[in-house]
Amino acid sequence: MQVFKDVAARIQPQPLLDWKAQGKPVVGYTCSYLPAEIFHAVGILPLRLRGIETDGMDIGDVYFGPFICSFPKCLLQLVGKGMYKFIDGAIITPGCDSMRRLDECWRKAGEDYEGVLPGFYYYFDVPHKSEDHGMDWFIEEIEYLIAEVEGYFGVEVTDEKLRASIAEYNKGRRMLEAVESMRADINPVVSGADVFSATIAGSVMPRNEFTEQMAAWLEALEEKPPLDNVQKRVMLIGSISDDLELIKLIESQSGALVVSENLCFGVRGEGRPVDETGDPIKALADHYLGESICPRMYGKYKQRLALLKQKIEKARVDGVIMQNIRFCDLHGAENALFERDLEALGIPCLRVEREYGPMIDKGRLKLRINAFLERIGRRRARQVAG
Amino acid sequence: MRAEVKEYNYDWMMGSITEAAAKLPAGSQKEADLSFRYIPYFRYALGALLETGPPGVQFLKMLSHYYKNITTAHDQGKKIVATTFCSTPLIFYAMGLVPLTFEVLTAVGAMVWKRGMFDYMDYGCEVGMPETSCSAQRGSLGAYLAGLGETIDFIVCDSPGVCDTNATAFAFAAEYLDKPFFQLNYPSTIGDERSQAYHVEDFKAMIGFLEKQTGKKFSYDRLESYLKEMEAQDAITADLEDMLLLVPTPIPPIYTLMIYAGRFCFAGHPEYTRMLEKLRNEAQKRMKAGVPGLKAGVERLRVLMCYIDHYTVDMNFYNYLEERGIANTGSILTRNFRDNNPYCQSLEGSCYGVDTSSPEAMLETVAQMNARLPMVRSIRGPYDQHGMWLDECLALARLYNADCIIYNGTSGCRNTWGMVKPFARDIEKQGIPVHIMYDDAFDDRVESWEASKERLDEFFTVRGLL
Amino acid sequence: MSIVAGCDVGSLTSKAVIMRNNKIIGSFILKSKPRPEDSADAAINGALEAAGLSIGDIACCVGTGYGREKMAFADAAVSEISCHGKGARWLLPSARTVIDIGGQDCKAMKLDPDGHVERFAANDKCASGTGRFLEVMAKVLGLDISELGPLSGKSKSPITLASTCTVWAQADVIKYLNSGESIENIGAGINIAMAKRVAILANSVKPENDVFMTGGVAKNRGVVSTLEKLLGVRIKKARKADPQMAGAIGAAIMAHETISSKESWTKGMEFN
Repeated sequence: MQVFKDVAARIQPQPLLDWKAQGKPVVGYTCSYLPAEIFHAVGILPLRLRGIETDGMDIGDVYFGPFICSFPKCLLQLVGKGMYKFIDGAIITPGCDSMRRLDECWRKAGEDYEGVLPGFYYYFDVPHKSEDHGMDWFIEEIEYLIAEVEGYFGVEVTDEKLRASIAEYNKGRRMLEAVESMRADINPVVSGADVFSATIAGSVMPRNEFTEQMAAWLEALEEKPPLDNVQKRVMLIGSISDDLELIKLIESQSGALVVSENLCFGVRGEGRPVDETGDPIKALADHYLGESICPRMYGKYKQRLALLKQKIEKARVDGVIMQNIRFCDLHGAENALFERDLEALGIPCLRVEREYGPMIDKGRLKLRINAFLERIGRRRARQVAG
Repeated sequence: MRAEVKEYNYDWMMGSITEAAAKLPAGSQKEADLSFRYIPYFRYALGALLETGPPGVQFLKMLSHYYKNITTAHDQGKKIVATTFCSTPLIFYAMGLVPLTFEVLTAVGAMVWKRGMFDYMDYGCEVGMPETSCSAQRGSLGAYLAGLGETIDFIVCDSPGVCDTNATAFAFAAEYLDKPFFQLNYPSTIGDERSQAYHVEDFKAMIGFLEKQTGKKFSYDRLESYLKEMEAQDAITADLEDMLLLVPTPIPPIYTLMIYAGRFCFAGHPEYTRMLEKLRNEAQKRMKAGVPGLKAGVERLRVLMCYIDHYTVDMNFYNYLEERGIANTGSILTRNFRDNNPYCQSLEGSCYGVDTSSPEAMLETVAQMNARLPMVRSIRGPYDQHGMWLDECLALARLYNADCIIYNGTSGCRNTWGMVKPFARDIEKQGIPVHIMYDDAFDDRVESWEASKERLDEFFTVRGLL
Repeated sequence: MSIVAGCDVGSLTSKAVIMRNNKIIGSFILKSKPRPEDSADAAINGALEAAGLSIGDIACCVGTGYGREKMAFADAAVSEISCHGKGARWLLPSARTVIDIGGQDCKAMKLDPDGHVERFAANDKCASGTGRFLEVMAKVLGLDISELGPLSGKSKSPITLASTCTVWAQADVIKYLNSGESIENIGAGINIAMAKRVAILANSVKPENDVFMTGGVAKNRGVVSTLEKLLGVRIKKARKADPQMAGAIGAAIMAHETISSKESWTKGMEFN
């Protein structure tokens, strides 16, 4: 577990530095739609790009306008500061408008700061629908990406290699699923912060090492006694977050535990295995696009609500904290619908807006979370009394 | 929301206002003078439209019909489809539907009322739309979310891949109002076979959706007649574009608004053709007489709006252009990218043609057309991709002899705010001054018009343009 | 009967009340000091002095506000949202919706029939829609904050302000002043801008009668009357005590409930 915590806390953790020290390539990516298996299959480390450890926005604000999400700004800030100079490639995905404009802003920053634009720089065009021609388009995108990777890195991405990588990733997915069941237990043994560290680590450290560490952690968890004083079981959803501080803030309040989340750095796409039998590209497309539950897939709100309800029921959630980064249109609007529909079912919800990056507004968030947990506490007390 | 705002439906109110306004020239001068006393915040806008003569009157009539179509749709047994300005209404008309475009409706209210669309915008926030979402939809959508409008039957938007904020507003509306929803989705490339095939597939799916919602078969014969009418409209628009090239141009700033507002409401409809004809007549008269379109009679500067215009109270932006003697050479809303326009040669491969020879050809045409509507063409994909926003603006600025480029949008526009700074830098490198307006085209509360005006003046002065 | 205390250390002011038999027997309010522990000490000592008591006489004390965790003398810390709900309920027993506008915060709360906070919404980050907004604007106009409210009644044509940002709104006000716009119209515009921000928040919890307002801005007639128009409801006033004290009163009531009831609804809250 300590490895996961260390990895989740830093942009350049030790396993990554070790990997680089062996002269092996790393490709950064910005969004959960990228099938990481493609890179794993040919010995490239797929690294989910993160914006933690920023200490200002002086570079990000030069390229991005004022009405833009702080996540890509933080990423660009790190790029400009040279924190990502070690990557050999970067893939930009139109996860949302703020993120897809990172494409231009990064390239332009590359004109101003030497060496910050990696040699392999690719725009991966993910459609907003997964039916018929949407799926066909995505499959073609994967094929184009593979061809580019093969050309640039001088490798060959075969079906065998892809299948092996899918199997390796699935091991981790199944283990995360097992951890999810432990969180859902009436007497959970694992904190939300620990699980979140693990899922983040899974997207930034060498995958085989991750699988080994997961196995060891899972074994340790089997022996672990239940956590004390779990009175308020919270679910965390909303905009992109890889900041452990937010979960820690919730869990630092007496009796509160994050037992479930629906975040794209958390157990969202993870937890469900990719089909290992058929055409591997088709299987990856089905998983990464077909099963996507991100609000950028317009018109699928009902499916997403159903999934949340399912998670809430399974993990015995007492209340849902819905956060969105300022200017996040997708989650901002959807959180309001979730709040409307879940409150109608008697599930307390808290909607908060925040900034990505150093938790400057910790006091403000804490007040709201406190009041919300008090509400949940009263509800539980009444349930117990009643 | 103030209680008085809830008294009447928003669409009915605007319909009544535009209907009354269109009738004004038919009355006596005394009646007109009296009416003007009652509309202190709509006086300039209405005056400016009426001053254009026959086209202005036709424009007002057209707007009032647009509203009337909405308010009477269900009485006539028609269904209302809520859609966006970057989606052509032509296909909906061909399907016998009444399209309702949130952005047009927001702009009208913003210009007519002193407090603009604030009440409805804020209502949108109250029911959960983020306050940072785009004001262009949130304004009139707020009225429909509040139940202050004719009931919408279903929703079709074509902004996914082009604008998240726009698409999110429509997806939100669909859930909130519990209406069927369809999205056309745009890849980041345009003009290549692969994306064109994608568009066509999307359109086929959309027609399937429309057929399901209406229980009617799509009629290609009807589509053909609308496309043919649009051919006539495009020919006139191309003539107007030609006249926009002239220095000084006989085209007044307000014409560009009338051209695109008409297209958003009535593309393929004879009513719009009538207005365009009148616009062309008036402009030709001025051209022959060598008179500039600006009221002052002198053209001191030419601007290219690289995004959209400004629409708050009383059309103060157009008034400002007139006051300063600035010709408006258009925005992304003005251009339709038909292959008969003067800019097609400068932007090779950017335009499309109309083919009505077969149903497949027509479908292809409509898909091509829609792929080139505002935002859908210019700001999809990287701005510095060949032929996209940067190339387009540079080519247009040079062709139309623009002295500078001005960016004006909304604070909800994630897509352009994510790239406008490097975009402006690239344009400046080519020697064209660029001004970025940090305001909101539909909401004076983000930056008051007085402040925006001062910043524009400062830009023109500092850069030695005026 | 036990004597209880509530102490509310906010960003602009700190307040404390001492209660016995559900009645206030001492209270104190002061401008917050840089260190919350100093504010808390000064507030509680002031209230104790007013009641003629010493800290040893207090059976239970609940702290609230931003400085709630810095009070050595408090037995528990409860969020100000819960306390404001409770305090508002005491000030006006029929209250079902509470709008509290503090120095840097603005909250709307819906209370259940028992006076517990059922739903709440709070402003995010920015100062617009908070007491600070009015304070900044009053300063630009050269007025005392108390003079801002009455301007609404005197204005015929209020100005429209950039209300999404306090800094921009301030620039607008300066511009209007320079262009010779009347103080009444500017003041009224400020009150309207403020009321609109608050109305969005209030409407998002779907207000139910009676609607009650706490916090210093409750004293601004211009904001209150515009808010009434926007919400379409009458906003009730408190007569029992200064509505600015609601948080501290709520905290004291919670202290009382904690010691008097085994099945207290405060069960499950974070106690020191």
